[in-house]
Amino acid sequence: MTSFAKLFKQSATYNLGKLLALQLEDFFETLGEIGIRFWHVLRLIARGKLNWRHIIEQCSRFAVDSLPITLSIVGMTCIIIAMQVAPEMVKQGGEKYVGALMAITITRELGAIMSGFAIISMIGSAYASEVATMRVTEQIDALKVLKVDPIEYLFVPRVVAGFIMMPVVVIFSSTIGLICGGVASFLSAHVSKLNYISSVWQGLFIKDINVALLKSSFFGAAIALISCVCGYLAYGGAKGVGLATTKAVVWSFVAIAIIDYIIAAIFFF
Amino acid sequence: MSIEVKNLTKSFKDKTVLDNVSFKVDDGEILAVVGLSGAGKSTILKLICGLTKPDSGEIIVSEGDIAMVFQYSALFDSLNVYENIAFALKERKEFKKKYSEDQIKEIVAKNLKTVGLEGIENKMPHELSGGMQKRVSFARAIVTNPSTILYDEATAGLDPVSSTIIEDYIVRLRNELNATSIIVTHQLSTIKRCADKVIMLYNEKIVYQGTPQDMIEGGNEYTRQFVTASIEGPMKAASSD
Ligand SMILES: Nc1ncnc2c1ncn2[C@@H]1O[C@H](COP(=O)(O)OP(=O)(O)OP(=O)(O)O)[C@@H](O)[C@H]1O
Ligand SMILES: [Mg+2]
Repeated sequence: MTSFAKLFKQSATYNLGKLLALQLEDFFETLGEIGIRFWHVLRLIARGKLNWRHIIEQCSRFAVDSLPITLSIVGMTCIIIAMQVAPEMVKQGGEKYVGALMAITITRELGAIMSGFAIISMIGSAYASEVATMRVTEQIDALKVLKVDPIEYLFVPRVVAGFIMMPVVVIFSSTIGLICGGVASFLSAHVSKLNYISSVWQGLFIKDINVALLKSSFFGAAIALISCVCGYLAYGGAKGVGLATTKAVVWSFVAIAIIDYIIAAIFFF
Repeated sequence: MSIEVKNLTKSFKDKTVLDNVSFKVDDGEILAVVGLSGAGKSTILKLICGLTKPDSGEIIVSEGDIAMVFQYSALFDSLNVYENIAFALKERKEFKKKYSEDQIKEIVAKNLKTVGLEGIENKMPHELSGGMQKRVSFARAIVTNPSTILYDEATAGLDPVSSTIIEDYIVRLRNELNATSIIVTHQLSTIKRCADKVIMLYNEKIVYQGTPQDMIEGGNEYTRQFVTASIEGPMKAASSD
């Protein structure tokens, strides 16, 4: 019996099962912690625990630091789409619709989601590794001993900054995306400037823009919150910081996909 | 401003670190906690300031701020020395109202002078040596005039002169603020100079309680091994388990 138990413990099934159980535990722990901290942050905001000096600092970091990357990612994507689509559309006599197509694609989906990806890689990962480092080097403990609430000091300014600045980032990147799309359409399929611009106007709807801005606010807040939480849960040195950062990136990707779906379902179906 | 620890038990996963530990530190008293590496000294301090929860037992700390000097300094690495020391004064409401920026500058300068580091306000923590970080950490901890101060190896890694300065200051803080202090240390010189009482931890328990003088001159087999730094004796240095 004991030797059977021993053998079983060495078996792949057992180890796989153990690994899976650990993963599941970790998954639910993270999910629970995100939920708890979400309420925690909301409560602090509702009680007016906003330190505007920290918020403005985080805002400038969130938007300014990430802007080059965000603009180039969204710009490049739009160039590629325009290069692929514009020649086809012109061939089929749809020159007048290229701008509208770009406008709808960008406002409904591309601007926010691509900016989200850029922000996750630039800002989310930085937040996570920062908070995780603070955790493993006992800086968070030091905060607590100094009677400064780490959630109020670290989470709230970042989440608020994400909520405020993400729409700004999306406005910039979408505008750049439209311009890049126009230039690429002209270069690849000779869509005229006038044609493109008037078509863009037809493809821009107030509702799309509003939803995009709302959505990006949620993206920004979610990325900030998840990154902080993953960092906060870190333990065990440099490896722990690395794991926390990876986790923050993965969870943020999944989260914005889910938020995107929910908002699309609410407003467009 | 006393600290009372009753029947404290703490374990991590299946490893018991403290088993039914009780002791008391009176108002204005300085207690030294000694023990081999891994004996649970840092754990006791973290329990007292509420960073970890005990499995069972009770910790009673009387009113007022608790300050802690962390074993590895734990300075905020994205803030410079000035912001580190001023941190509590700038972030906590009760101090924000009380002090103007100029007053805070003064306090920081005074505290830096105390630890012998004038004029390094604008340096970042990573630009400092380990001993300097320790001293900045000390300056940060005492900025709120705490009534209970926990020092986790505050003098470890310091040169003898800086060590003495910190030791004198620990005593002075007790005299001026009537602060109750616990110092974790491996250095006999620190114990001699500062402590009123000593407890020694080994194998989850307190194996010695007494005065510094008694510990150094007589004590029991545990303290004798500690004082003579001998391999022979009842204590074995912690293995990895
Ligand atoms: N977060 C933790 N998780 C698991 N085990 C821990 C944790 N913190 C401490 N321990 C264990 O508790 C024991 C006591 O640790 P502690 O840091 O209190 O020792 P110490 O007496 O301060 O040692 P040193 O003199 O080396 O600083 C050690 O065996 C350590 O492995
Ligand atoms: Mg220790």
